[in-house]
Amino acid sequence: MSDWTVEDLQKWDDKICHVAEDMGLDWFPIDYEIIDYQEMLSSMAYTGIPTHYRHWSYGKEYERTHTLYNMGQTGLPYEMIINSNPSIAYLMRENQLYIHVLTMAHCVGHSDFFKQNRMFADTNPDNVIGTFKTASKYVRSLIEDPSIGIEKVERILDAAHAIKYQVPRYPGIRYKTRKEWLKSEQRQMQKDPTYKPSLKKFPHEPDYNLLLFIATNSRNLEEWERNLLLIVQENSKYFIPQALTKIMNEGWACTIHQKIINELNLPDSLHLPFIKLHNQVVRPHLGTINPYHLGYELFKKIIEERGFEEAMLIRATHNDITFLRTYLDQEFLMDQNLFSYSFKTKYKSSTIDDIADGPGWERVRDDLITNVGLNRVPVVFVMEMDKDHRLTLVHEHDGRDLEVPYAQKVFNYIKDLWGDEVCLLSQIEGESWEF
Amino acid sequence: MSIFRKHKSIVDRAAADRIRHKKKIDKAIKESIKDVVAEESIIGQNGKKKIRIPVKGIKEYRFIYGNNDKNKTVGTGGEHKLKRGQKIGAKRADKGQGQGQGGQASNEKGEEYYDVEITLEELAEYLFNDLKLPDLEKKQFRFIAQESIKRKGYRFQGIRPRLSKKETIKRKIRRRKRAEKAGTYDPEGDERFPFHKDDLKYHHIKPKSKENSAAVIFFLMDVSGSMSQARKFLARSFFFLLYQFLNHKYEKIDVVFISHTTYAQRVSEDDFFRVASTGGTLISSALDKELEIVEKEYHPNAWNIYTFYCGDGENWASDNEKAVDDFKKVKEMSQLVGYCEINENYSGLADTDDDAEAFGGMPWGTFSAWKAEEADNLWARLNPICDNTFKRVMIGSNEHIWTAFTYLFGGGKNE
Repeated sequence: MSDWTVEDLQKWDDKICHVAEDMGLDWFPIDYEIIDYQEMLSSMAYTGIPTHYRHWSYGKEYERTHTLYNMGQTGLPYEMIINSNPSIAYLMRENQLYIHVLTMAHCVGHSDFFKQNRMFADTNPDNVIGTFKTASKYVRSLIEDPSIGIEKVERILDAAHAIKYQVPRYPGIRYKTRKEWLKSEQRQMQKDPTYKPSLKKFPHEPDYNLLLFIATNSRNLEEWERNLLLIVQENSKYFIPQALTKIMNEGWACTIHQKIINELNLPDSLHLPFIKLHNQVVRPHLGTINPYHLGYELFKKIIEERGFEEAMLIRATHNDITFLRTYLDQEFLMDQNLFSYSFKTKYKSSTIDDIADGPGWERVRDDLITNVGLNRVPVVFVMEMDKDHRLTLVHEHDGRDLEVPYAQKVFNYIKDLWGDEVCLLSQIEGESWEF
Repeated sequence: MSIFRKHKSIVDRAAADRIRHKKKIDKAIKESIKDVVAEESIIGQNGKKKIRIPVKGIKEYRFIYGNNDKNKTVGTGGEHKLKRGQKIGAKRADKGQGQGQGGQASNEKGEEYYDVEITLEELAEYLFNDLKLPDLEKKQFRFIAQESIKRKGYRFQGIRPRLSKKETIKRKIRRRKRAEKAGTYDPEGDERFPFHKDDLKYHHIKPKSKENSAAVIFFLMDVSGSMSQARKFLARSFFFLLYQFLNHKYEKIDVVFISHTTYAQRVSEDDFFRVASTGGTLISSALDKELEIVEKEYHPNAWNIYTFYCGDGENWASDNEKAVDDFKKVKEMSQLVGYCEINENYSGLADTDDDAEAFGGMPWGTFSAWKAEEADNLWARLNPICDNTFKRVMIGSNEHIWTAFTYLFGGGKNE
C-alpha cells in the first residue's frame, strides 16, 4: 500500500541531515519509530513519552483523539517528537513518502531547538526516558501493592495533576536560601532599627513550587504519596519548557523544514503535495492563534530583516513571551489582522475589544502575550505556613479572575493532600475572596 | 544517520487506562440514571424505547481563568474587516487557543456532557447489575434450566455474517457529514467517501443459560380513594422499576398482581398499572388474597416467594391488627417482603439522631408523623417484624425511589 520502503526513508534522511548540517544546525541524533495509527494515538495520549506512567486521564485523552479522528474533525499529527537524547520521533506507517520527508525535516528543526534553546537547559534529555521508566515502574508497583491499589494511587495523582502547573516557570532563577534571607534581613535591621520583620516566617519568601512544598511539608502524607507528588513535579519540570516555547518551537521547525526541502530539489511528484501540506500546517486559524502560523511568519520576517544567523541566535535565547514582546510590531500585527476579544457576560456574547491599528496594536500584543503558554495558567503560590500547619495560598491576581467552580475543586484537592487547614486568597470582581 | 525502527508492540498500552476511564464514565452514567428512573417519560414504556441521558464527563480540574471581559483572547481575523465592539458570536471563547502543549495546558472548560442514548433494557443493565433478589433458594421442585441465544446490542468486533449493515452505514454517513462540516471532505468532488474499519459494527450475540429456581413475585397495591394521582404515580413508578428489574434479572418468573381497596382482586399487568378505583382501605384483604393464591398455586416448599406491598399507609384502624398478623404470615413463607409507603410529607431525612435510634437505626422510621402520638399506625406496628426479610421503605417523592430500591436489594445500607 505504501509508496516507500525503509531504505527510501534512510536515503532521504541522509540528504536532510546533510543540508541541515550545512545550515549550521546542531541537533540530537534522532530515532524514528515507524508505528501505525493506533500506536500513534497511544503515543499522543501519553504526550509522546514511551515510558510514561499510567493514569486514567491518558485513557480519556486517547478516547478523545480517537473520536475526533473518527469523526474526521482532526487529522493525526504529522510529527511527534520528544525532547530526549537521542530524540525519539514517530512516523505513521499509513502516511505517504512526501509526508515522511516533511516530518523528518521538521523533526530536525525541533531536535535542534530542544538542544539549543536555553529554556531546555535543565531538562536532562540524556536520562528522561529512564526517569520516566523508573516513575512508571514505581506507579505500577503501588497499584499492584495490595495494601495500596489503584484507588488510592488515583486519589493522589488526580490531586497532583490538578496543581501540576503550580511550579516555578522559568529555569535558572535562583531563590534565596533561608540562611541568605536571614542574613539580608539582619543587615536590613541593622541599617534601619524600626524594621522588624518576622524571622520565623515560613516559607521565608513566597514559594511557587506548590507541589514540592506540599510533598516536603505536609504532615499527613505517607512516604509513597510524597513520592508520587515528586514524580508529578519532575514531569512538570520536563514539560514546562515546551509550554514556554510552543510558538517558537513550531515556528522554528516549520522554518527549518521549508528551508531544507527547498535545498533538496524534490521532484515535482513530491514537491507539489509538499507545498500543499506545508501551507495547510502554517495556515492561520480564524479567531484563534495557530502557533505554527504565528511562529513561522515571525521567523520569516526576522530572517528577511536580520538574516538567518540572527534567527539562530534568537532560537537559542528567547522564549515565547520575550520573542513576541521583542519582535512583534504594528506592521506584523496588522498584516496578520490580529484582534483581541472577550466574552461580555452582560451581553452574553463575545465582542472585539481591540484591533491592530495605531492606538490598539500594543494592547493586542499585550493581550496576546497574556495568553501565551503558561500565561494562561493562573499563578498560585504558598504565602505562609503557620505553627499549626495552617497553609495560606495566594492567587497572583493580574486582572483576570479565577473560574470559581474550578478553583473550588482544585482547592479541595489541595486540602485533601495537605490534610491540615488551608486557605486560598484571591479576588473576584474586585472583591477579595477566600476559599 | 538517524535510526529507523519498525515498531512492533504486542500490547495496547493505553488499554488499561481506557478501561479505567470507561469505568468512571459508567459510574457517572449510573449516577445520572438515578435522576432519570423516576421520570414520567419512561414509566410504562417497553424495553425498546430509547432514553436520552445526559452524563457529566469526567473532568480534570485545574486553576483556570474565568470567562469574562477581563480575560481577553487574541485571534487572527483573516480577510475580515474588523471594528471595535463588533459582535463575533454568542459562543463563549471557551476553546483554548491551541497554544497548549499537546493537550498539556489544555484548559477548555464548560461542562462536558456525554449524551448517552440507551434502551430501557440497557438502562436496566446499568441499574441492576449490582442488585439481586436475596436468598434465592434452590427449592425442591421445578428447576427451570434456561438456554437461549439473544441478540444484544452491537460491537465493533465480530464475524462477517453478523455485520450489521444498517449500523455500519449509519456510522459512515455520520462520519461523512462531520467531515463535510469540518471541511476535510468535499461532497461535490469526485472522490468517493470510503468505509473505514471503524465504521463496521456487528451484532452481538449472547448465549444465556441459567438455572433458575422457581420464583413468584406478588405485587400488592392499594388503589383506594386516598391514593391520590400523585401517590399512585409514585407507587406505579416503584412497581415499574421493580418489574423491569425482575424481568431483567430473571428469565422465568411468575408475577401475580393484586390490587385492593376494601377487597382485593387479582388483575392483569395492564390493569395493575392503569386502572384506577376508589373506596376504603383494608390492607389485610390483599394479604389474604395472596395467602389464598399461594395455598392454591405456589406451595412455599417449591417456590421462592417475594412480596412487595405499596400503599399510603392509611388503613382502617380496625384492620391494623389483622394486617400485621397477615404480614407475619406472609413473611414466614416469603424470602423477602417489601413494605413501601408513599407519603409526600417524607423528606428523606431523619429528624434527629434519636429518632433514628428509636426506629432501629433506619432512616425511614424517623419521619415526625411517626412520633409517639401516632405510634398506633401501621408503620409503627410493623416495627417488631422488621428484619432482613421484612423491609420497610418510605417514598416521599420520586427521588426516593432509587434509594428505596437499593435498600431493598442492595444489602440494606442506606445513605
